[in-house]
Amino acid sequence: MRLAITGSAMRTSLGDTAETYQALLAGESGRQPLRYVAPDGVNVRHGYHVDAAGPERPYRASAWLAECVAAAAREAGLDCARQRVVVLVGTGLRELRAVERWRGDGQLADLDALHFGAAVRAALPGVEDVVTVSNACSASSHALALAADLLQLDEADAVLACGADAMTESMLAMIGRVGDESSDAVRPFDADRKGVLLGDGAVAVVLQRAPDDATVLLRGVGMSCDAYHETAPDPAGLRAAMDDAYRRAGLSPADVGLVLAHGTGTALNDPTEAGVLAGLFADARPGPLVTGIKGAIGHTSGSAGLMSLLVAVEALRHGQVPPVVGLRTPIPEAAPLPLVIGGPVGTDAGVAQVNAFGFGGVNAVCLVEVRHGR
Amino acid sequence: MGGDRVVVGAAAVHVPGIAPDRLIASATEPDCGPDEAHTLLGRKGLLFKEPAVRLAMCAVHRALGLPPGRPTGPAPGAAGTAVVVSSNLGNVATVCDIVEQVRAGGLRGVSPMQAPNASSNIIASSIAIRYGFTGPNLMVCSGSTGGLDAVRLGALLVRSGRAHRAVVVGAEPADEIAAGLRAAGGTPPGPPQGMAACVVLVPAGQPGPVRLHSVRRHRAPEPVPAGGPRTIRLACGTGDGPDQDLAALLGGGYGAAGVLQTALATRWLTDPATRPEGVEDAVEAVLTCGSTGDGFATARLCRDGDRT
Repeated sequence: MRLAITGSAMRTSLGDTAETYQALLAGESGRQPLRYVAPDGVNVRHGYHVDAAGPERPYRASAWLAECVAAAAREAGLDCARQRVVVLVGTGLRELRAVERWRGDGQLADLDALHFGAAVRAALPGVEDVVTVSNACSASSHALALAADLLQLDEADAVLACGADAMTESMLAMIGRVGDESSDAVRPFDADRKGVLLGDGAVAVVLQRAPDDATVLLRGVGMSCDAYHETAPDPAGLRAAMDDAYRRAGLSPADVGLVLAHGTGTALNDPTEAGVLAGLFADARPGPLVTGIKGAIGHTSGSAGLMSLLVAVEALRHGQVPPVVGLRTPIPEAAPLPLVIGGPVGTDAGVAQVNAFGFGGVNAVCLVEVRHGR
Repeated sequence: MGGDRVVVGAAAVHVPGIAPDRLIASATEPDCGPDEAHTLLGRKGLLFKEPAVRLAMCAVHRALGLPPGRPTGPAPGAAGTAVVVSSNLGNVATVCDIVEQVRAGGLRGVSPMQAPNASSNIIASSIAIRYGFTGPNLMVCSGSTGGLDAVRLGALLVRSGRAHRAVVVGAEPADEIAAGLRAAGGTPPGPPQGMAACVVLVPAGQPGPVRLHSVRRHRAPEPVPAGGPRTIRLACGTGDGPDQDLAALLGGGYGAAGVLQTALATRWLTDPATRPEGVEDAVEAVLTCGSTGDGFATARLCRDGDRT
């Protein structure tokens, strides 16, 4: 069964999908001074925020998600009264910020709003079947894999795979605690990278059985678990998710012209991921162009995977691959990879690989195709 | 979902702090609390593990029928085994603890060993690491329906061929933060030391006495139809159930409730010795978890051979 992406929307520190893509092409970054949390307390001084300056808005991930869900459903023309519509929301941090402010600042906490059921149901009347999957930094890509399975097994007519995350003080603290020095910017695959910074945002993608004129096809999503270490990635686990994706898609690495890497700018992820990609494309030299979005919009936690996917779709559609913002001097492990540095590079590729790896060794890799109608 | 190609291969409940025969009539030993989890799991690897992680591991350990102690290698059949866990409050204590330390100016006092616990999927990934499960690994934080959402996703992973087995777990802790959040949200308190349950889902055709017929979501509790086959009915949030004590226990299960219901029904359907007073022999079970705010999920289980 062929599956198509029939609607989508996202909200990042650089704007909606089109605005984010244009800013990426221009090499812009959404980085700002950290808001809402005392920077010295968490040893983190920058963030990639969505909301304009002002007081902290409670449950804002839910608000961005609701906008994205409504917009994506509208584009796809969903009829929730007649179609079986399921919504799977992938998130790293849920609305745990509300728990922090309940405990630390005496604000009211709404237990039902720590997950995203109520927000989605309000945005998409008629939908009951909403599940929140909290799968760390690969959550939204896991949601897309499950969406594909629900359609393949005819349990739904349309599935929205989503992501939503607003940064939490506790996760900022862990980033500030484990880093040697405070990172000034996310520099994926750069020799001078100093670690990750968080970004806010939300994303929604509508997946359906492909109509004949479909232009964006989801070819396959692979999943794996390292079962190895709680925070350190395992090359074998990363590769297993990639192999699973190619097997499901019936594609080989030589078919891929673009990779949206996970690329977090951390000491461990980038050399590990670069090494695995170099191995995967060893027989496909020069191999696909490799780029990533976290230098421009920060690490948006569970939303990152689907945001990368939508940027990949834009790049394939327009034939222009944005550079890795923040990357100047690649690490040695990335030497075999055609990383996009400095400015956009043209492509006529049709298929992209999109990586997402999370805490706990949870990996999901998507393969997406844009048909150009030639 | 229609789940008729999936059976429950094994089931265990782990609810410390209540009479051991309250849920499983044949049980004689009380379940160990999170602070005594080493008696079942072995000492190594439990440092910095939160109560919900420990309880979840206890339920998995028992569902797999493993001897006490830390596994020396991957569990049998570990490669390609999926893990799906439902919990809403598993890591809220760590999240609040980190924030309190930070605001007291003590970032350096936060242990990097706590870092993984700041991520909500710590229960699912910890189980994978301990038992070597390399299949898809999912953490469901979906409110009151989460337990049956997890059962449904576990069945999906088996039916789609992504896993040859899915270890599905529900776990909720009973720490001060979790209790405070429940109280603030008007959600009933759970048992005094928290709770966990585990069901192992495998493709039909493999040994498993109980078939998962279906799981579906709906907005409001549904009336119980009259007649039909003998049925075990377990509900939470609707005041329904075989007795009020059990209803209260299930009502306090929150994200663990749906898995606890599935595990109990599986044991009761297949082994008369496990049935507490008031639970009669039956050929199928109808399980409902949820709340007014989250909506409801209902699962149907059938004893294999009794109904097609």
